[in-house]
Amino acid sequence: MLQILFNGLVSGLLVALPALALALSFSILRFANFAIGAMLTLGAYVIYFFNVALGWPLQFAALAGIVLGGLIAVAVDWLVYRPLRGRSGVTLLVASMGVALVMENAVRFVAGGTPLGYDVEPARPTRFPSLDALGGLRVNHEQWLIAAVSLGSLAVVWVLFGHSRLGRAMRAVADNAALAAVRGVSRDRTVAAMWFVSGALASAGGLLVGLDATLDPQMGWNYLLPVFAAAILGGVDKPMAAVFGALVMGVASELSTLVIPSHYRTVVAFVVLGALLLVRPWGVFGQARVTR
Amino acid sequence: MAPYLLSLLMLIAIAGIAALGLNVQWGLTGLVNFGLFGFYMLAAYVCAQLTKHGFDPWLAMVLAVAFTALASAGVSLISIRLSDDYLAIVTLGAAECFKLVVIHEEWLTRGSLGIPDIARPVAGDVPFLLLTLALLAGVFILFELVARAPLGRAARAVRDDPLVAATLGKNVLALRLRLFALGGGAIGLAGCLHAFYYQYIDPTQFGPILTAYAFMNVIIGGRGSNRGMLLSTFTVVLLLEGTRFLNDYVAWLSSSQLAALRLMLVGLGLILALIFKPEGFVREYRFRIGRGSTTS
Repeated sequence: MLQILFNGLVSGLLVALPALALALSFSILRFANFAIGAMLTLGAYVIYFFNVALGWPLQFAALAGIVLGGLIAVAVDWLVYRPLRGRSGVTLLVASMGVALVMENAVRFVAGGTPLGYDVEPARPTRFPSLDALGGLRVNHEQWLIAAVSLGSLAVVWVLFGHSRLGRAMRAVADNAALAAVRGVSRDRTVAAMWFVSGALASAGGLLVGLDATLDPQMGWNYLLPVFAAAILGGVDKPMAAVFGALVMGVASELSTLVIPSHYRTVVAFVVLGALLLVRPWGVFGQARVTR
Repeated sequence: MAPYLLSLLMLIAIAGIAALGLNVQWGLTGLVNFGLFGFYMLAAYVCAQLTKHGFDPWLAMVLAVAFTALASAGVSLISIRLSDDYLAIVTLGAAECFKLVVIHEEWLTRGSLGIPDIARPVAGDVPFLLLTLALLAGVFILFELVARAPLGRAARAVRDDPLVAATLGKNVLALRLRLFALGGGAIGLAGCLHAFYYQYIDPTQFGPILTAYAFMNVIIGGRGSNRGMLLSTFTVVLLLEGTRFLNDYVAWLSSSQLAALRLMLVGLGLILALIFKPEGFVREYRFRIGRGSTTS
């Protein structure tokens, strides 16, 4: 039982990064970015390139990949979303689907469809003998890494978003872009910064998914539904609440494997999402203004 | 050459029916259906299994279309009162769930083995093509009538501003539900024809790429215009089929790389069409008073 809860929390932390990235872009631009899964995949493969093809140690490769992932997101914003700004949210939605197609197949074109793995030393799982009374707990090396990277990134974003000039600018633009512009907050620069953070978070998420399982071009697509469910569960206009949503989703999907086969995890995410949209579409922490 | 031409026409007709369905949902009413491939697959499986279990293919087709229309309405009910983003993710989620069920519930769908030897309503390739073209024409005429009927006008009003439509006494929820089901029925019909045409279905034939093709057709054809759908389906299928001949010229690319390249082009086409030609090539039908006398 303890083990299941722990695994659930770790897989929740895994989903938390892309969910936060999604909620950030939604809160500022008011559009649901369907390319978030492809951004995750692309980031994971960029890190793989630095790690395996160039032979860098994983931590440097990850750092380079995360920065590059952020820059790619900014570039995509310049090329695709900026020319479309001012159109309806639906147009952006469909455009992001196009972006997802291009990114995912660019990865497939270059790296092929076979599953790949990072170059990491296999290590012995850590056991906690003192917890044996509760059913025992073993923690993989990868799980330590996931927890550390995820919590670290979340802390950085929390400081950035809540306690810096840039964060204040982001919140101002999210709240009322016109008013923020009047007060001298550059919308373009703030949006670019948001995309950088969003792309970096998605890439970090890609690293974690790649550590947890393997890399393949579909990896991000498979996480799309849990990521959306997590972001909506937290309240899609409250970015940090997405982390809470992700943890709940992680534990829920891990607990569900007790009852139904594990390949139906996506169905669990869908059921949670559906129930949520029927009862409380603005999420746990959001405000009741999402409905039209 | 003749069999190839035949299969090309089949592909165009099936994709055209699916595009017409999406055009009613998204083009006319503004409802984003990212789960198109799931409903298409659902119809193909229902139709195939009913035919396999002794139903007449005609009856199976009718039942599958009705079932898909109902399923579309049911899924859309989860979020149709919310803004578009939510319908997009809900339909996509439903489609992914359908696909998981199709892959894993082997007692129901035979899983990855697929369903072989599906009987057609009419024997022979040419009569079946004629039937498909007739159905395409039927769907086209029906949707043209809908676009000109009060229902179509109300749908455009709901798309352009649901608040105004509601203020004028239109029941937005009921309208959206009805039109989403109508479009879902057409998508289901396309799925049935897919199953009949190939006479064999398995889960790998159905993926999000079907959704992307349909969206591309609707954007290029012009949202809301049924004539545009026919034109764009014709063009898009020919272009995509044309890229298959690239295999002969660029031997240094593997076939999976070429497939990836083709999908990248589809994505790029989607983005470019949205940026540079958002209104598409054919304008949607608009009711005008004193037609012919005005120059616009």
